[in-house]
Amino acid sequence: MSTAVAPSQVRLISPLGLLQKLSGLKVLLPFAVLVAIWWAIKVGAGITDEVLVSPATAFAAFVRLVTTGVLSEYASTSLRMIGACAMFSLAVGVPIGFAVGVNRYAARSCEGFLRFLQGVSGIAWLPLVIIWLGLSYKTTLAVVIYTLIVPIVFNTMIGVRTIPENYVLALRSLGAGRLRLATDVYLPGALPSIVVGLRLGMGYGWRALIAAEMLVHSGGLGDLIFSARTFNQIDRIIVGMIVIGCLYIIVDRLIVQPIENLTIARWGVLRK
Amino acid sequence: MSAVAPAASPARLRLDRVAWMLLPAAPFVAVLAAWAAYWQIVRPPAATLPSILAVVQVVGDIAGDGRLGANVLASLWRLLLGASLGILTGVVAGFATGLYRGISEFLSPLVIFFNAISGIVWLPLMIGWLGIGTALAVFVIWNTVFFIVFQNTVLGVQLVPEVLEQGVRALGAGRLETLRSVTLPGALPYILSGIRSGLGFGWRALIAAELVGAPSGLGQMIFAAGDYHRSDIIIAGCLIIGVIAIAMDRWILYPIEQRTVQRWGLITDAEKEGV
Amino acid sequence: MSPNPTMRAATRRRLPRFDREWLKFAAGILLIALVLAGPHLVGMATAGHRLDPALKRPRGPSNVVVVLNFTPERFHSERVTSYGVFAGRDGALNRIRLRMVTPENLAALAAIPWVARIEPLK
Repeated sequence: MSTAVAPSQVRLISPLGLLQKLSGLKVLLPFAVLVAIWWAIKVGAGITDEVLVSPATAFAAFVRLVTTGVLSEYASTSLRMIGACAMFSLAVGVPIGFAVGVNRYAARSCEGFLRFLQGVSGIAWLPLVIIWLGLSYKTTLAVVIYTLIVPIVFNTMIGVRTIPENYVLALRSLGAGRLRLATDVYLPGALPSIVVGLRLGMGYGWRALIAAEMLVHSGGLGDLIFSARTFNQIDRIIVGMIVIGCLYIIVDRLIVQPIENLTIARWGVLRK
Repeated sequence: MSAVAPAASPARLRLDRVAWMLLPAAPFVAVLAAWAAYWQIVRPPAATLPSILAVVQVVGDIAGDGRLGANVLASLWRLLLGASLGILTGVVAGFATGLYRGISEFLSPLVIFFNAISGIVWLPLMIGWLGIGTALAVFVIWNTVFFIVFQNTVLGVQLVPEVLEQGVRALGAGRLETLRSVTLPGALPYILSGIRSGLGFGWRALIAAELVGAPSGLGQMIFAAGDYHRSDIIIAGCLIIGVIAIAMDRWILYPIEQRTVQRWGLITDAEKEGV
Repeated sequence: MSPNPTMRAATRRRLPRFDREWLKFAAGILLIALVLAGPHLVGMATAGHRLDPALKRPRGPSNVVVVLNFTPERFHSERVTSYGVFAGRDGALNRIRLRMVTPENLAALAAIPWVARIEPLK
């Protein structure tokens, strides 16, 4: 290990450290301990199945949900929804962010508005959207897109704003046209910020998705765990929760974060 | 900024300044104008989209008969409880974890996992254990705030340059003294950033939790209004939620961060990027 | 080579990190693809075991009983009955009668992994 790196900076809770530990399977130990404690509490305190099921019961429920295709169906619904919303939000949000960010006055006027929209989270608009679009996937789609697009627009705007004007002027003075400027200065310069916005948006969006699914009740993991409450199916709730967690970790750490890291590695310093 | 600007008259500069101040209002005005125009032209039913006037009136109504105040207070109270618990436990646990490598390595996978399910994912399980009410909302907020504050505290503690700690130790400071004079101020920017972030997330999680199951509060008010197709109450509620979110961030948290962090000259690496 | 240990370490570390990110990305996409498409692939692979021999080469629409190994939930019923005309249960909750199932729909039904058997309707 190079002595140039300050030792205190090494032991961060970082994905790299996690990956290294994975090769040693050390990462499973804490979970094993957790499951053991869970089992101990369940048996020791004599808790009924209506309050908390044992790890064995939960695992059996997991197997059942997989073999009956329920889990993959509901998980697929959620994944497809978040994927579609992410694509749409990027396709629409980045251009808007560019358009707003390029002009100083536009940026200034939109900043407060975007913060406000962020404050009124997509979930708060759910009852209104339900009135407009009914209890269907369209409502979930609308709410999640709203939740995703605001951070993306905001961060794109910031990304464009922080590009030093010298770069733009330099290329301009060399005769670059609008398109050239966009692809060679604006896009690469704003890209790290855009990806940060994507990451933030996915965090907000996934939570909004689960909440929306709970209320709209037409498929998805949120629907799965919330409906299970009606019948006190604690095993299903727990399986659902674990799957939600695992899927988010996969999407965030194995898809979005690598995109972020690769973008920074390729295109420069993240102003963090 | 242009390198060469023609000298502008004082009046012109003042006008520019005023315009600059007023610009943030532009999108809001645009939305209101579009709303009013749409309403005039299409005349949608009140349940779908009420007029601006109707929304203003309803705000006056619910403020007048105390419902608004009661709901806002209920929500804010839950936020206060949950966030304080979250901050307290987060900072304490964060310090314990940040200072001892063994704990940090052990807890790291667990924290990542439970952070992934923080907030409303616990709702179905917790409804059974805590019932519908303040306890449930407080739990959801605590959960959300705890993980954010915890992770930021751990980061802050670990990022305090060891050189400083060693230096103070070499001068004869004890464990506690080191913590108080070096580690705590050093980690403070991150802790405060975590608190600010956590409160933002916490407020959103609270509204979501109240939407799904609470006897009172802003989220519940909106949800109940949805059942009766009272779009005016829903819109009013949403706007108020947004205003409170901004007010909280602007007037409480930002000044705190300014007074402590910037006054003590601590540099925040975690500069706020994005919302 | 590079002038000093720091430089060597910095250059040494860069490429593996880059590769590691691509690896993580590939793993992530793979896992998600598994969740999305896995069951369908498993179903297609085992489709042969599901169809009753009498239904193997349908000449036109057939009438079948779709048998499940468990009590169907709302999602299962909705999915199965979308492939034909629902004609009631066949004695038990996990036996669903379908009429006028086209050969394409029959193949699709056979490719569902959680369907136990498809028998001809007598």
